[in-house]
Amino acid sequence: MAGEHITQEQADEYAIGSLEPVLERAVALHLADCAACRDMARDAERLASLVALTSPRLKPSPRLRHRVFAAAGITRPSPFRRIFTIGRAAAGLAAVIVAAGAFTGMVSIKGQIGDLRQQNSDLQIQIDDALSQKVELAALTRKLDDQEKLAAQLEERSKDDRELNLAFMSPTTDVAAVTSLDETGNAIGRLVWDSEQKRVWFVASELPRRPAGETYQIWVNSGGRYYSLGTFTPDDAGFARYETVVPEGLNTYETAVVTIERAGGSPVREGPTVFFVADLSRLRN
Amino acid sequence: MAWNGNPETPGIRNIGRTVEFTRPAEAELASRIDWPDEALMVAIVARDEHAFAVLYDRYVDLVYSASFRVLADAQLAEDASQDVFVRLWQRPETFIAERGRFLSWLMSCTRNRAVDELRARGRRRKREGGPLGEPDEAAQPVFSTEPVDPLHSAQLHEEQAIVRGALAALPRDQKVCLELAYFRGLTQQEIATRLHEPLGTIKTRIRLGMQKLRRALEQKV
Repeated sequence: MAGEHITQEQADEYAIGSLEPVLERAVALHLADCAACRDMARDAERLASLVALTSPRLKPSPRLRHRVFAAAGITRPSPFRRIFTIGRAAAGLAAVIVAAGAFTGMVSIKGQIGDLRQQNSDLQIQIDDALSQKVELAALTRKLDDQEKLAAQLEERSKDDRELNLAFMSPTTDVAAVTSLDETGNAIGRLVWDSEQKRVWFVASELPRRPAGETYQIWVNSGGRYYSLGTFTPDDAGFARYETVVPEGLNTYETAVVTIERAGGSPVREGPTVFFVADLSRLRN
Repeated sequence: MAWNGNPETPGIRNIGRTVEFTRPAEAELASRIDWPDEALMVAIVARDEHAFAVLYDRYVDLVYSASFRVLADAQLAEDASQDVFVRLWQRPETFIAERGRFLSWLMSCTRNRAVDELRARGRRRKREGGPLGEPDEAAQPVFSTEPVDPLHSAQLHEEQAIVRGALAALPRDQKVCLELAYFRGLTQQEIATRLHEPLGTIKTRIRLGMQKLRRALEQKV
């Protein structure tokens, strides 16, 4: 939201009050920083406020007046009340009588309004500055959150690395070299099978990314049947590390392949093979 | 700032001390009764209690009516109206003249205050296990008898009639969506749930409703 302008539709939804709270806050933050959108939102708010005028005209109880003046700390509300108890004709007559006097006052009031507008304009600039600082603070907070998330991800990855290293060193682990076929070019990989912990890792580098609609899928063959271990996607650098649990009922495997399947994976092995675990005497630690 | 529009008689403008009126209060009020809203706000910034009294009497029915429309409870509507006017007195500088008409600002303040109360009441009822749904419709306020300021009231009535006409001219489903959002404080998703309609339909109705309202009112109000 911060980088793009709001639409007229969003301004209308904001003004009428129908936006979801999260989006409403995002729009408010954006308006604090964008004068063009703020003007559009104010126009929409003016329109929306007219809807309030459609309420049936009601009159509050007379005691409200006393309550309001008392709560406002205005010390002598009672004399005010009398003026409004005079009849309609008297009020109209009074209005005519004072009109001339009021006109003189109005001329000077216009000057005062100009002064006030200037003050308001200065105040608005200060408010805008304060809001800009608030937005900057929000952006810094968001950045800090992002960095905390990144740190958490790195910590998680470090933990995964430790676990993989331990698996490499475990005497119960089979590490198999993986042979690359034409499709994957210079890619190299290892399949790490920890039969004791029932976990399996596949690590490869220099893997080309698959186009949209395709994915890599890894399979192990046991007893003449292929079992899917799942799908994986390499990162931008072509590195892939995939970890999963050994399928139920399997203790070992005879061979393993990586195929290219449709996005989301395939229930049976269908696509072309790009990796093949050829030597199953394997590199037993 | 010098206040040239007010007599500089000591005691007319008081800040934090007892008022000593050198003119009868009625005369002070009468001298301001024709002032436009913005001029009254200027005077209120300068702590002119008479200006506040005029503004209160000019708009209290409107503020109360809008509050009651949202809250459907006379006592709560009076509480909300009180908050609006007390805030207006205590923080008049929050009205920025460049932002538009005073009436629009006042109505926005009123609606926001009433909807806040409505949502708070919803949360309280939910917490206390009370019934949810429409507010109590049984409490009825006293209906207005006659306007206080005939000239201003007539203009206001004319404006209300134009807006009511524009809203009434909307297709019913669009009008309902706008009213649920504005007077009930419901989000689009909540309106969709209440009306058993898809969210996209509600968004469209609100968009079309606001467009038509804008076209109908831009030259008239």
